[in-house]
Amino acid sequence: MIRYIIKRIILMVPAIIATSFIIYFAMNMTGGDPALTLAPENATEQQIEEIREELGLNDPIYVRYGKYMLGMLKGDLGTSYVTKRDVFKTFMERLPNTIELAFTAVLIATLIAVPLGIYTAIHQNTWKDTGGMVFALFGVSMPNFWLGLMLIIIFSLNLKWLPSGGKEGIRSLILPALTVGMGFAALITRTTRSAMLDVIRQDYMTTARAKGASEKTVIFQHGLKNALIPIITVIGMQLSNALTGSVLAETVFSWPGVGRLIVDSISKRDTPMVTGAIIMSCVLMCVVNLVIDLIYAFFDPRIKAQYSRKG
Amino acid sequence: MKKKLLAALLCVAMTVSLTACGGSSASTDTAADAGTTEAGAEAGTTATGDVPAHKEELIIGTAVDINSLDLQNQSDQINNICLKLTHQTLFDLDADTNRIPCLATEATWIDDNTIEIKLVENACFSDGTPLTAEDVKFTFDMALESPVAGNLTGLISTDVVDDYTVHMNMESYSNDFMMSLTYIPFGIQSKAAYESGMEEPFKIGSGQYVFDEWLEGEQVSFVKNENYWGSDPGVSDRITFKPYLEASSRVIALQNGEIDVCIDPPANELQYLEEDENITVYEQAGTRLFYFAFNCEKAPWDNQTLRQAVACAIDRDAVLQAAVYGKGTPQTTILNRGLFGFYDDMEGFDYDVERAKSLMAEAGYADGGITTTLTIANSSPYTNIAQVIQANLKEIGIDVEITTMEDATLKSTCKEGGQELFLWRWNEDIRPDCVYRDLFNTGSGSNYHHFSDPKVDELTDKVLTDKDEAQRTEDSKELQTYLVDACPQVPLYISNLVIAYNKNLVMPYFRGGGDHYWKNAYVAE
Repeated sequence: MIRYIIKRIILMVPAIIATSFIIYFAMNMTGGDPALTLAPENATEQQIEEIREELGLNDPIYVRYGKYMLGMLKGDLGTSYVTKRDVFKTFMERLPNTIELAFTAVLIATLIAVPLGIYTAIHQNTWKDTGGMVFALFGVSMPNFWLGLMLIIIFSLNLKWLPSGGKEGIRSLILPALTVGMGFAALITRTTRSAMLDVIRQDYMTTARAKGASEKTVIFQHGLKNALIPIITVIGMQLSNALTGSVLAETVFSWPGVGRLIVDSISKRDTPMVTGAIIMSCVLMCVVNLVIDLIYAFFDPRIKAQYSRKG
Repeated sequence: MKKKLLAALLCVAMTVSLTACGGSSASTDTAADAGTTEAGAEAGTTATGDVPAHKEELIIGTAVDINSLDLQNQSDQINNICLKLTHQTLFDLDADTNRIPCLATEATWIDDNTIEIKLVENACFSDGTPLTAEDVKFTFDMALESPVAGNLTGLISTDVVDDYTVHMNMESYSNDFMMSLTYIPFGIQSKAAYESGMEEPFKIGSGQYVFDEWLEGEQVSFVKNENYWGSDPGVSDRITFKPYLEASSRVIALQNGEIDVCIDPPANELQYLEEDENITVYEQAGTRLFYFAFNCEKAPWDNQTLRQAVACAIDRDAVLQAAVYGKGTPQTTILNRGLFGFYDDMEGFDYDVERAKSLMAEAGYADGGITTTLTIANSSPYTNIAQVIQANLKEIGIDVEITTMEDATLKSTCKEGGQELFLWRWNEDIRPDCVYRDLFNTGSGSNYHHFSDPKVDELTDKVLTDKDEAQRTEDSKELQTYLVDACPQVPLYISNLVIAYNKNLVMPYFRGGGDHYWKNAYVAE
């Protein structure tokens, strides 16, 4: 198992290099001169040229990329063109906010979706099932920013229960987490229902009932346990998505997270910030995926055995 | 065992969520102790006397993020607004944008190449150290090497004459240079702070407030400068700027009382604010000019008569309505309203489709048949403006394809001359040369029109250097009339300044261009 983990960590290296390469070159290919963005509108050609020189923008793209990667090997993700601050430090300042929002959203989604998915599966083809699926359809189809604004209007403007945005304690976390979580809940509900329907029809479920196990035991001990792998997969995927930033929710709720940082930096052509933040997000995603894979092994001994053999 | 592990995982997830609620790390700086607090007679605007009852914190909801507080290495309006709290310039502006003393008591052109500036003698920085001529020289020497040096055109060097007198050595006389001294990136910085090796020495200023904390993407706060030397200290104990990028969220935050001021409320939501009895929606003439323009180097737009035909085909009133619900003023001249020599009574090219068709024929395009591209930024209000213009030009046989791109890409494209037609805006409220020279002079970096005319270049120099005010006014009028006729751009409208705030806000005045001074603002209680 340990060897498997080490192998996965080593495999992260090419993923990071490929990501940095794609992002760095993509940023260069999109139009827009960072020097022009930074210079005052009435800057002279000479001043713009000086900014370019200072930022190293006159070097060929492969030289700049090489320098960037050399810096990265030393743990230096560069300095933002715009704020002149250390990219790693800026990212790490924003990351706790994103983690906070991501985990809370996924937690909310899981607490709503898993029970609902089980419930709809048990009551397949009844109005309860239809109701659950309508909820799921609603959640999937609803645009994030629209839901966010609706929640703000209801809970902030009309009821005055919660702040409309910003980051001031747990109260300001509820609405953005609900907004992000509702979209996730819809997908998790559908996956849970589908996974449960697969196992409900299995012979061992009938056997369990025949042996006199209570319905609760049959569903949770025998059913849910065997349906967990796809559910964990989808929860993990949603967590990965949320950890790389929920741009729309962060914008609507003025939440200072990683997603907003990346989008703002793209519009300002802040290449070091965009590249650094995406590389860090890539690392984060790899780690989350590794953790999810390890959780598989925990719930399914067959997978654990596979990992041991592969390791 | 497995249940316990599952429970533990859930606990970890909740703990991470809750602990992160404690806030992210912040770079915090506080003013140093000591120093004199003697009031200065030349301190700026008005003496306040007793402090009125007020809300402790004034919270301003902004439409964009604050991204740098390093005066000379940034140029964003929102950063400058924050920096006006902590730093002071040699001269300031009053409500009518007249230059008034601040850290300098007077400035005189000794000859065409030298300005003598006398400083107040009791000013000090927030760390208590006195502000002297050495600091002024240090600030301007540094500025000449910085990205904002373009605003100091003509300045060669600065010499210290004595502790409170400096000489600025100039290439030649300039009518606009003194106004440049009011620009906040030239706020006087502490030489001693830079020499001390401290982190972020640019945060030491002489203004009414000092930097308190910056939670990036979240808020920037300032508290009163206990060492403030002047007679007009701020009223609010704390002033905080919070970015609310989504306009509707910003409006709701104001209605909810989470913020006291909503910058740039969207025009389509003003009615909700106007209906709220706790909110004031304030409107005044602005200075930001939105315009439609040509790349004059690219055929067929190198044809002046054809450009004039297009100008006649554009319905400015419809543009104004579509862009900002009519909250602005249509304009004929190319100069921003309020600047010296503003003249808008030339004949120009009013909306007249018949005249437009006649000019099309004169230009050699009687049957139209032109297909072209209008390049615009993908932000408000350009899309709405572009659609109106697209429909207008269709009437005279010009098919317009609209191409949208981000601001950064648009600027690069326009600079390189890749565009045919484009929409852009210009905001200048103190120096007319920053309009004439920057937008229309041969070789200027921001001359996206790629327009070149020796007469315009010559008149621009005259307007900058005319010492006789009457002559300068005449030259300004001639230059504007000539440029409107040459038609490298079609001025569309000046948008009004619209701002919404808590009805108890006390604010001495607003600046039409948006560069507000919040130092004396407070919410009365």
